[in-house]
Amino acid sequence: MSAEPIKVTINNREFEVPKGARLIDVCRDKGFDIPSFCYYADLALQASCRMCLVRIDKMPKLQTSCTVICTDGMVVTTESDEIEKAQRSMLEFLLANHPLDCPVCDRGGECELQEMTFDWGNLEERFTEEKNYHPERFLSPIVANDPQRCILCKRCTRVCDEWMGEDAIEAGGRGAHTVIGTYGGWLDCSQCGNCIEVCPTGTLLDGTYRHQARPWELAQTISTCTFCSDGCQASIGSRSGEVMRVVARDRYVNGINGEFLCIKGRFGHPFVNHEKRLRTPLIRYRKDGELIPATWDDAIRHVAQRLDAIDADHGSNSIGVIGSPRITNEANFVLHKFATELVGTENFTATDAFSLSAFFANLGGQLATHRDIRYASTIVLIGGEPEELQPLTGKQIRQAVRNGGAKLIVINAVPIRLVEQAAQFIHIAPGSEDAAVLAIAGEDGDGLAPKLGVELSALLTLRQTLAESQGDLIFMFGSELSAEAQIVMAQMPQTMAAEGRRVLLHPLPLYNNSIGAHDMGLMAGAMNARKMLAAAGQAIRAIYIAGSFLREDLRDHAESFSKLDFLVVQELFETETTAFADVVLPAASFAEVDGTFTNNDGLVQRVRQSIPPVHQSKADWMITAQLAAELGVDFGYQLSSSAVFSAIAADVPAYSGLRYPLLRDESSPIQVKHPISDRRDLTPILRAIRERVEGLLEAGPKIPDTPGVGHELFKIGTLTDKVPQFHLLAAGNPRPDSVSISPLYQITVDAKLRLEGVLPD
Amino acid sequence: MSAQLTNIQPRSQPVDIGKEVASFSPEVEAEIDSHLEKYPVMRSAILPLMFIVQRERGYLDPPGVAYLAKRLSLRITDIWEVATFYSMLHIEPVGKHHIQICKTLSCKIMGEPRITEHVCNRLGINPGETTPDGKFTVSLVECLGSCGTAPMFQIGFDYYEDLTTAKVDQILDSLT
Amino acid sequence: MFIGAIGCEPLQLRRVLLDNSRTLAVYRQNGGYEALRTVLTTRSPDDVINEVKKSALRGRGGAGFPTGMKWSFVPKDSPKPKYVVCNADESEPGTFKDRYLMERDPHLLIEGMLIAAYALGAKTNYIYTRGEYRYLIDIMDEALAEARAGGFLGKNILGTDFSSEIYTHTGAGAYICGEETALLSSLEGMRGHPRMKPPFPAISGLYACPTVVNNVETLTAVPDIIKMGGEAYQKLGTEKSGGTKLWSVSGHVNRPGVYELPMGYDDMEKFIMMDCQGIRDNKNLKAVIPGGSSVYIMRADDIIGKDVRMDYEGIVAAGSMVGSGGFIVMDETVDVFESTKNLTEFYKHESCGWCTPCREGTDWLVKVFQRVANGGGRPEDVQLLLDLCDNIEGKSFCPLGDAAAWPIQSAIKRFPEDFRKHLVN
Ligand SMILES: Cc1cc2nc3c(=O)[nH]c(=O)nc-3n(C[C@H](O)[C@H](O)[C@H](O)COP(=O)(O)O)c2cc1C
Ligand code: SF4
Ligand code: FES
Repeated sequence: MSAEPIKVTINNREFEVPKGARLIDVCRDKGFDIPSFCYYADLALQASCRMCLVRIDKMPKLQTSCTVICTDGMVVTTESDEIEKAQRSMLEFLLANHPLDCPVCDRGGECELQEMTFDWGNLEERFTEEKNYHPERFLSPIVANDPQRCILCKRCTRVCDEWMGEDAIEAGGRGAHTVIGTYGGWLDCSQCGNCIEVCPTGTLLDGTYRHQARPWELAQTISTCTFCSDGCQASIGSRSGEVMRVVARDRYVNGINGEFLCIKGRFGHPFVNHEKRLRTPLIRYRKDGELIPATWDDAIRHVAQRLDAIDADHGSNSIGVIGSPRITNEANFVLHKFATELVGTENFTATDAFSLSAFFANLGGQLATHRDIRYASTIVLIGGEPEELQPLTGKQIRQAVRNGGAKLIVINAVPIRLVEQAAQFIHIAPGSEDAAVLAIAGEDGDGLAPKLGVELSALLTLRQTLAESQGDLIFMFGSELSAEAQIVMAQMPQTMAAEGRRVLLHPLPLYNNSIGAHDMGLMAGAMNARKMLAAAGQAIRAIYIAGSFLREDLRDHAESFSKLDFLVVQELFETETTAFADVVLPAASFAEVDGTFTNNDGLVQRVRQSIPPVHQSKADWMITAQLAAELGVDFGYQLSSSAVFSAIAADVPAYSGLRYPLLRDESSPIQVKHPISDRRDLTPILRAIRERVEGLLEAGPKIPDTPGVGHELFKIGTLTDKVPQFHLLAAGNPRPDSVSISPLYQITVDAKLRLEGVLPD
Repeated sequence: MSAQLTNIQPRSQPVDIGKEVASFSPEVEAEIDSHLEKYPVMRSAILPLMFIVQRERGYLDPPGVAYLAKRLSLRITDIWEVATFYSMLHIEPVGKHHIQICKTLSCKIMGEPRITEHVCNRLGINPGETTPDGKFTVSLVECLGSCGTAPMFQIGFDYYEDLTTAKVDQILDSLT
Repeated sequence: MFIGAIGCEPLQLRRVLLDNSRTLAVYRQNGGYEALRTVLTTRSPDDVINEVKKSALRGRGGAGFPTGMKWSFVPKDSPKPKYVVCNADESEPGTFKDRYLMERDPHLLIEGMLIAAYALGAKTNYIYTRGEYRYLIDIMDEALAEARAGGFLGKNILGTDFSSEIYTHTGAGAYICGEETALLSSLEGMRGHPRMKPPFPAISGLYACPTVVNNVETLTAVPDIIKMGGEAYQKLGTEKSGGTKLWSVSGHVNRPGVYELPMGYDDMEKFIMMDCQGIRDNKNLKAVIPGGSSVYIMRADDIIGKDVRMDYEGIVAAGSMVGSGGFIVMDETVDVFESTKNLTEFYKHESCGWCTPCREGTDWLVKVFQRVANGGGRPEDVQLLLDLCDNIEGKSFCPLGDAAAWPIQSAIKRFPEDFRKHLVN
């Protein structure tokens, strides 16, 4: 869209607008209200609801402003009796077969159809005929559906296709018998619930929240999702200390993700108020004894004394401090301060197997934001599977290709679903990702092709595409890359720099605050979590950990725990880690604290307290500060997380100058200033990688199949374990005998499925 | 898939293929290939292929639908949305002989009601129903392009025009 | 059923009554493929388009858009492949001419399409035939095979360097797929929903490539235009409506059939009373729908003694439209309320459901008609029907919405008594 201005006249007032602007957007931007249902920014045009009719001079009929591109000298009328009659009549048509059951509809109070009807006012009901009937039904454990309320704006089918690439829900039938649905009436998809979110009426509804609350009873708190590194903005709806739902409706929140969320972000929240949340601090007085409830004072005192003793006997480096890529910057910062300044140990880290230290130490350019991804011209994805692990990134990639015509190159050992969108798919042998990085870096292809198990021609095509790329060129990579390979990636903005091209980087870490944990310095410790476990009983005597160890680390070092003198764990739930803990401290979840997460765009975004801490739990950073106080050091934050953030701004250069007030508006997030290194000489690094790659044998068999939707999303973790629907999905989403809806019935884990052994008890 | 998208996206993998997938004789497979060859985009062959599956299996049964999704690399939903749009495609069983009586204006004023009544009385079913033995289904359909030779009906793909009740009897008697 | 020409030499119907008229042999004995040879050997694509422009040929599918002009919209320089698509979906109630053209003279359509393909540089072409016309698809496939074998189709046609293929494609029961953009959606394997215009098919049609969609009758007129020259063809008809037109006559006449008339034929009364041999059982004429179900219904007294000229302008002047030439004649026994209800049910059944006014409006209209028919009529219902039509007309996504409104509006205007009698009580 070129920006050269043209003139349009709307309701006798002249405006300058950019060439190529869409009339409906222009009218709204200039303050003229245009009703619409089917128009939805950045989705395929539909022009089917016919609400947005306007009069354009020299055109025979009323025109749909959603389909009109402004031309110079265009004269438009948006308000007249003729137009009002047309728009009223469209509304009347839409209401004709609508059940008008707002009082019992979960959407009542935030329904666009209801609001538009009120706006117009005094619509006499002329439709006295019998209404077409469709029964209510469940489409899945998560999606409830009342076809009779549908106005067929098809936002749902378009987001399912264009955002998710799943096309799981579609319009079937014809004419007045058109219904949104699926073949066989059961919805097999990633259950993202975006169809529910964009539905302007009560047709598609959250099946886990049916008749639980009315929107106006809920306190809406804008916060950042706690599941993956994309950092979607969502609105947490809570009522008297309970999180009822999480949505991204644009009437409440307007973040980088628009109305998009994935299944975890939208339906993963029930862990917050789950009955299994820890209620009080717990102390295990004897090694093989029970964990016994204790007061905070006793627990804190107990921990302080033991740490003091171990420090005295074995030195400060025998104490390991471990933060988490899941908790806030504030929490990790205070832990880092605790470890370095108070305990004075070199052994601190965070429980993240995918360290980006090498990457950031050599960062040669900016991180790509999700907006950059949407408008990129070329995207190279090495390893990873965004659609399952960073769903928003996956959606942005798909839209860049489908709506923006971007070129996607997928380099992966697995034929992931995104391959559908790829201009080139380089199907490499498992474990040869580093070799692919060499190929991109321009190393000789003949040697690499056999290791990768691809034709040389494929690599040449790849290089040509890169060489010719103009506009934004974005490199993304997953955790498959070695530290050296990450350095090569980090330097791409320097090595690939060219006229008319901007090279951006988008690493794909796994957790909501992986990057924050790195920025707070935790990943710079002498040992990572794995090493500490291995050294338990020798170099490491005590561990203070926020959250739990990663499953795989535990599996490999289970016996190590017994060798530890002392283990303190801050957790929401009892876990494999707390099973060995000497002291367990109940931590508050993301919904109960104020703070910040830093996402994979490098955007630092607010986490806001939606409900008071559950039971006796406390924010992680407060626990650490309290422990420090007990050990005689007052960090001086009082009880204010914003004070902690100011300290972060003072200590961490990338965050300097930032304050909470600057982060107030989620619609204009701030990217932290990761230091940009100048150009590095990569020769030694490339040599190192080459040696390792030469070590690889010739490529063996490839991974043939595309993994099914949800193979990562539906995995049962500590948090998703608390949501019955995830168990159903993990068990293959079995279709219940009846999908018909009774007012309060929810599809959930029922005894039958347990008996059949489909589900765990 | 959204109709207005200009770049048509070929699917690499249907995500949700049904459990059981229909299979056909080499001749039928060859016939299907001959249709696929006509088009630069596979999806274009969806209607011809649906008619073949319907011919071979009586209607678009689940294994048939799964076959189409697989053969055309489409989602099951893509098959469903198309199948339910067109009135000649059936995802529910229909009788062996599908009697489709034209009820639109020219046929209507030229005696369609008489013909419909006669057919229904003979078979003992109403329009839209199938005889218990599954042999006959009667439907009232819109204009079939025989207005000059009204009244008329179509059985399967065969046209029967200038109908009289006597002629209807002959025709029905001749059907096994 | 009659089939033939009145008031002129049969042109498009020249061969339909010959034995084996559908074979290549008979077609060639009667001048078949000569026009194609002339074009390929002696004319440039632009010559062809100009010839068609001169002929004043207007689309016979219903919209009546000048064919030569439509062809000239196709961008010559576009690197994309181009397509000619024949619209043989013939589903407009009262219309059955295309059926007989294809059944009796399939090679005429092939020749017409190839000339169009040459003029537009199309290498691949499709005939989209409504699914119910399966037997015509078989006939066309046979004819196409014959033509291919005879060197008239496929690679290096008639030994020239022009190559072009024609394939048949089947619809599956959807009137809306006769609308050109819905037809293209359907041909791409989608639901048969219309698409936004602009872009028009000539710019972005099948697979987003330049595409010309033409009706069977339109394309079958082209060979004769080449043979006799554009002017001569035009002179068969009137200045603005060139050539001859096929009329599908049905209803209460003694001799229904497909009639080829010169454009501007005088006059409609004569046509009904003489050519179609008058109204059956010497009843009186009551109403005529001259151009297929979508056009305004005419009263007998708008026809009797009014010498209505049978061409685009003449019939508009008389208060209706040529449309697709589906000429439905109704005698005094017909209740226009009933006939209008019947057509409204048709449009409700055929509405694709894409846009609000047509989907909901036709559903509502039918419910009102049925309530009234079942004795539940109210005095205000006529006003309601008219207002609903007004809310659909001009606001729907494609013209089907208008097509559903016009019959009702004209019927209520011209036969108020037939509606009133259902409402008194
Ligand atoms: C609802 C609707 C149905 C139509 N049905 C047909 C049809 O059955 N056959 C046809 O040739 N044109 C039909 N048309 C007209 C086509 O849209 C298009 O104008 C025509 O095929 C162009 O060819 P022509 O210029 O040769 O007439 C229909 C139009 C509409 C709006
Ligand atoms: S008017 Fe609307 S609903 Fe009716 S056929 Fe056209 S697009 Fe479909
Ligand atoms: S918003 Fe324009 S038609 Fe729906």
